[in-house]
Amino acid sequence: MTFISPLFILFITIVIFVNYLLPPRFRYVFILSVGLVFVGFFNIESLIAVLLFTLFNFYLAKLILNNRALFIFGLAVNALAIILFNYFNSTTNGLHFSFTLISFQIDKFIVAFGLSFYSMQNIAYLTEVYSKRMIAETKLAKYVLYSVFFPKFISGPVMLPVEFISQIDNNVITNNNLIRGFQLLLLGVFKKMVLADRLAPGVCSVFDYHSNYSGLTTLVAAYLFTIQMYFDFSGYTNMALGMAEMLGFKLKDNFNFPLRSTSVSEFWRRWHISLISWFTKYIYYPVVFRLRDYKKIAPLIGILLTFFVSMIWHGIGFTFLAWAVCHIIYLCFESLTRKARTEFSERFNNSLCKMLYIFIVFNLVCFSNIFFRANSFDTALHLIKTIGCNFIPDNFYNGLIAPIAVGGHQIDEFNLYITILLSVLFLLFERRIGNIVSSERINIKYIIGSVLLIMIFGVFNSGTRFIYMQF
Amino acid sequence: MQERLQKVFRKVFNNNNLIITLQTSANDIKMWDSITHMELISEIEVEFNIVFSFDQVMQFNNVGDMLMTIEKLSQNHK
Repeated sequence: MTFISPLFILFITIVIFVNYLLPPRFRYVFILSVGLVFVGFFNIESLIAVLLFTLFNFYLAKLILNNRALFIFGLAVNALAIILFNYFNSTTNGLHFSFTLISFQIDKFIVAFGLSFYSMQNIAYLTEVYSKRMIAETKLAKYVLYSVFFPKFISGPVMLPVEFISQIDNNVITNNNLIRGFQLLLLGVFKKMVLADRLAPGVCSVFDYHSNYSGLTTLVAAYLFTIQMYFDFSGYTNMALGMAEMLGFKLKDNFNFPLRSTSVSEFWRRWHISLISWFTKYIYYPVVFRLRDYKKIAPLIGILLTFFVSMIWHGIGFTFLAWAVCHIIYLCFESLTRKARTEFSERFNNSLCKMLYIFIVFNLVCFSNIFFRANSFDTALHLIKTIGCNFIPDNFYNGLIAPIAVGGHQIDEFNLYITILLSVLFLLFERRIGNIVSSERINIKYIIGSVLLIMIFGVFNSGTRFIYMQF
Repeated sequence: MQERLQKVFRKVFNNNNLIITLQTSANDIKMWDSITHMELISEIEVEFNIVFSFDQVMQFNNVGDMLMTIEKLSQNHK
């Protein structure tokens, strides 16, 4: 059940309506029950695993104060869960126990244990309690709700218990919450169904059937994949934030116009913010703080370790290793040349130069994302080699447009142009659209316009999952 | 003390005209990111001859928080 399935739309409508009518003191029990049903809907193994793991972390947190060995044990179990999740997620050889009446898939069980976003929250919780920056939660039901709150359960945003649990007792739903939440939800649906899912087939065509395309085609597909991933994941986040707001909760935003970044380090402060904050707080800062006497070397080691962990989190394999190496190189270069770059950018501080920096950063990110998207390391290398030779296609239509406008009919070509036009317009005006959505006044023009665009151009029943659901 | 701290900020951020207030935070200085933050911490420790704990560093939200901790540690040092 993904956020854009008809079943989920029915489910969320009923949940928001019932929750709104309930007295505030009963709401968290209701949302907790809904969360458990949501997790159980995937499979029963997931529900059992999540409940067991939540109990484990809840009770362990009460014992770890002043007990370093137990704290490290807790971290190791959660970290192992993430590694196992990535291992079982990337292999098809699951273990299967079958009894006469009950069939139980052990790999599904382990996969659920390690749902990465959920495990990261547990690591943050244990660390905060051990460091005495927060007190261990005393109410089990509230901790379970924090763990299984369905808008953030699958793909975040990653939140600390203190940021979420404090909202349970102060749950208030005003008309402004409902308006802003609905407008955010609509924005997310638009980004996913009208933009991301319409870009997906062209990207898939080049990345998965890559043999005979020209360099320009591959380059355009690499650009489109980065844009697709941005719309896909930020669309998911908008939907999660919108649903949470209609249920009376505020979640952290994950994106701050990342494709307008003028440096790669700025890109990482604007992209998947809750995850990067987690990595910065629990990996980067502790490492660099301990090594701070080594001056210039400390941040380089911090970057190296952070991206190594990030690579394991995204998936174990050469493609993710290469993706991480790209960003390690970019960030180390930026760290070592910071002063020279600052002087340069102050000297050439005009719109044209800024656009040039944005273009360079966008290209660097797209280059690393070739490894991120490719099915294998060899495929990624082949695609990069393709960009380097035979760049201009002999026949513009057959060489460039046809492979991206999948289908081969005139209507597919028209669809491609419309998608690119909508994507570019959205990127140009996204700040203004964001202001409309986050305002507390209902904007009828925005709602009607979005609904019409979704009805006319939306991809229904595409079957594509959200990209970040795999992590 | 604020002037000495300002001197450290100017050195780390390579800007001789930089003026800090108690409310100045990472949002106000373009170059103040996770990389320069730790460099700043290290330079402050050298300038004031103090040693921060990791928890203290994690709780800095602005220059005011930094100054309060520096004052506390300097007094302990005396």
